[in-house]
Amino acid sequence: MDMHSLLVISVGAIFISNFVLHRFLGLCPYIGVSKQLDSAVGMGMAVIFVMTMASVATWLIYHYFLSPSPLNILFRLLMRGQGEPPDLTYLRTIAFILVIATLVQFVEMVIQKLSPGLYRSLGIYLPLITTNCAVLGVSLLNINEQYSFIESVVNGFTSGLGFTLALVLMAGLREKLELAQVPRSMHGAPIAFIIAGCMSLAFLGFSGLKF
Amino acid sequence: MSPGKELIKGFYTENPVFRLMLGLCPVLATSTSVNNGIGMGAATLFVLVCSNVVISLIRKAIPAKIRIPIFIMIIATFVTIVDLVMAGFFPELHESLGIFISLIVVNCIILGRAEAYASKNNVFYAFIDGLGMGLGFTLSMILISSIREILGNGTWLGLEVFGSGYNPVLLMILSPGAFFTIGLLMSFLSWFEGRRSSCVTNF
Amino acid sequence: MKDVMRFAFILTLTAAVTSGSLAYVNSVTRPRITARQNAEMKEALHYVLQGSEKGIIESVFQNGEIVFYKGYQKPDKRDLIGYAFVASGQGYSSEIQTMVGVNPQGKILRVRILFQQETPGLGTRCEEIRKNESVPWWQRQFQGTDAQSIKVDKDGGAIESITGATITSRAITESIALKTKIVLQKTDQKDN
Repeated sequence: MDMHSLLVISVGAIFISNFVLHRFLGLCPYIGVSKQLDSAVGMGMAVIFVMTMASVATWLIYHYFLSPSPLNILFRLLMRGQGEPPDLTYLRTIAFILVIATLVQFVEMVIQKLSPGLYRSLGIYLPLITTNCAVLGVSLLNINEQYSFIESVVNGFTSGLGFTLALVLMAGLREKLELAQVPRSMHGAPIAFIIAGCMSLAFLGFSGLKF
Repeated sequence: MSPGKELIKGFYTENPVFRLMLGLCPVLATSTSVNNGIGMGAATLFVLVCSNVVISLIRKAIPAKIRIPIFIMIIATFVTIVDLVMAGFFPELHESLGIFISLIVVNCIILGRAEAYASKNNVFYAFIDGLGMGLGFTLSMILISSIREILGNGTWLGLEVFGSGYNPVLLMILSPGAFFTIGLLMSFLSWFEGRRSSCVTNF
Repeated sequence: MKDVMRFAFILTLTAAVTSGSLAYVNSVTRPRITARQNAEMKEALHYVLQGSEKGIIESVFQNGEIVFYKGYQKPDKRDLIGYAFVASGQGYSSEIQTMVGVNPQGKILRVRILFQQETPGLGTRCEEIRKNESVPWWQRQFQGTDAQSIKVDKDGGAIESITGATITSRAITESIALKTKIVLQKTDQKDN
């Protein structure tokens, strides 16, 4: 395995094209769940977990069911490997979103059974994640960038890590902000966006990093 | 409930972007130029109207327990239709919007309207609601992308605004500019509302 | 139990109806999308290998994938114009793909950017066309340079980089130099 390309993907996903600050994915939880540090950490962990799982699941679905390759399981079972493999890639949006929704539900049930402690800390965030565009976003990016399986998993995990980094930094700032005097019209979301802008500005400094 | 009121509520009082703060990801990501903004707005408008109408049509046949997966499937279908049609007929727009077309499916406005409105009202009102909300979203997109394109590139829809002597504020086109624009617009709106309500209480 | 069966039936029905309608839309739009992509590719090839419209363009495969194209002035594969290939490199926010035409000596004939999703107003200026001109000014400066050794001005080369978009400029320039080396090596082996 090429460690160098994995390192490039990781640094890219965490710093250079950070999911929140550069790609603008997952803004709803970023603004919504960043008021307290504890809940930000919880949400971050849940997102890392789901994004990694979703990368695994959607990569397998795409390459073994949808893409027109000889590996396609439907092609091998139904057509016995004869003729041209079917191109079902147009079903990818609908397939991915259903897989992600099912996956989140499944993960929730498993965690609830196996580890009530973990469930108490992650559980409430899991249902929120289905409509988090970061999860579908990372699945689609993995396909668009033509990542291999390992690269997809690494990209999923590190993108989640980048999301968590931005979220936790934001929560830390907003906890301090409680004590600051903010103009009345800036209360709540507006000041959060301005801070996000400043953070995004700082993260721009990472662009051009090279290995 | 009058159709006119239902239509214009999305423009200001229940504006999806500034008031309900729904669907912010595509707003910030694709407002780099007015062209992209209008494209994204129109795509969302189409999906919103179609899914509202279909969901309202079959609302009595959907069992409450499994309504969400069914809504998602219907929405995803229309999103894919937009995706394919755009790739065939507007390839350049399709290229610059990238994965954000597919991501319309997780735009909270659409599922939100399906759940809160289309599944409870008849087809006519669902259509009006989808149209109003979609137009409200498109107008917000045009507003934000206009600010960013004019300041950041000195152009509006590709036409020069300030003449060749203008040195563009590149920051507005880059990602921080999106955050600053929406933050300042929201704060302006909240200041404006604060003034209006204090006027009302004074009288 | 009865409920579960009913739910399963309704969900299956919805899935069947939605994917069926998508299959229909796909069958209508797909030919158009492929035709458009092919036409774009052909147009770009004719653009970078000028004079090949009346001749023939031959694809050279390796392991089932097209590595580069050979363009001839005559339909019976006489008068080689040069080679064309797609160079791709990681830009600021996207993988940039450039169609490059080089003559057999490795001098660039013309280039055309096929795909980029760079920052509007910065990186996208690599495709900017100035008033009263028909060719993007940034791409024109590649014409006639030695493809294997091109560099942007910040790296001591002759290619003027786009203001505020050095990463984009460098990505395109380096991807062209790299791919040219690969392609010219292959053509040398073939000719010998």
